[in-house]
Amino acid sequence: MTSIQRRSWMLLSLAALGAAGMFLGPDGWLGIDIGPVGAAVLYAALWLFALHLWKHADAAFPADASLAERQSWIAAVFVSLIALHWLNFLLMLPDLGATADQISSPASRRFAVNLGMSLFAWIVIAAAVRSGNREAVELDERDLRIQHAADRTGSGLMAVLIIGIICALATQPEALAPWMRPLIVANALVGLLIVKTLAENVFIVVRYRRERA
Amino acid sequence: MSELAVRNEIRRWRQENPAMTQAELARICGVTRQTIIALEAEKYSPSLELAFRLARALDRKLEEVFRFEEK
Repeated sequence: MTSIQRRSWMLLSLAALGAAGMFLGPDGWLGIDIGPVGAAVLYAALWLFALHLWKHADAAFPADASLAERQSWIAAVFVSLIALHWLNFLLMLPDLGATADQISSPASRRFAVNLGMSLFAWIVIAAAVRSGNREAVELDERDLRIQHAADRTGSGLMAVLIIGIICALATQPEALAPWMRPLIVANALVGLLIVKTLAENVFIVVRYRRERA
Repeated sequence: MSELAVRNEIRRWRQENPAMTQAELARICGVTRQTIIALEAEKYSPSLELAFRLARALDRKLEEVFRFEEK
């Protein structure tokens, strides 16, 4: 592992530590609210990672990783981050009471801001990696074959989840009736999309890794 | 029934020509260098079209580059 790759892992570890502090950290530890500190560490590490990739896009990944593999690694990291934001938002819903149905509630706003920042950082980092690519071909038949296999896996998982939701709605309509509110249903649909995208990207990362092993 | 797999001699024929690097072969065939690495390691079986392109780039017959045999 080169020093540039070591620095990449260090920044990603710092981001993971920040995410852990943001989502799991206690509210009052030695008089400090860990949540905002964790968020600051997470986003500082991600922006430093973006700068690092901008400068050393070619050397930050293993030499035998194609552009599609690099992009799938980045996608897996950012979709995981978005999934964590979404889970955090879901955990807040029971405490919101009636305001959970309002799109302008503070929790919804915070989720939207975090989602926007994550998507922006994702676009910047993906562009940095693409600009550092020196290969004449960006995507070939092997990449497309892996992506099709990932699409099939993601669609299969989504079908299973939808069938599960249909069965739950059909067998327990009264128990689930209180959850049938527009914003909660919308969040469930967002969750389905996040799970599908995450499953696809993890599949791609694992398949490339297996083919290189 | 025995399990069959596509085997290849891409590395062997490529190394016969010192100018034919993995990057050069990838450029000629219109694929990424990583796909050539995966092919040479027999981690990936190419499409028929890519197999013909590889054979042409290496100036060999298809059956000299690829074999279909037991694992």
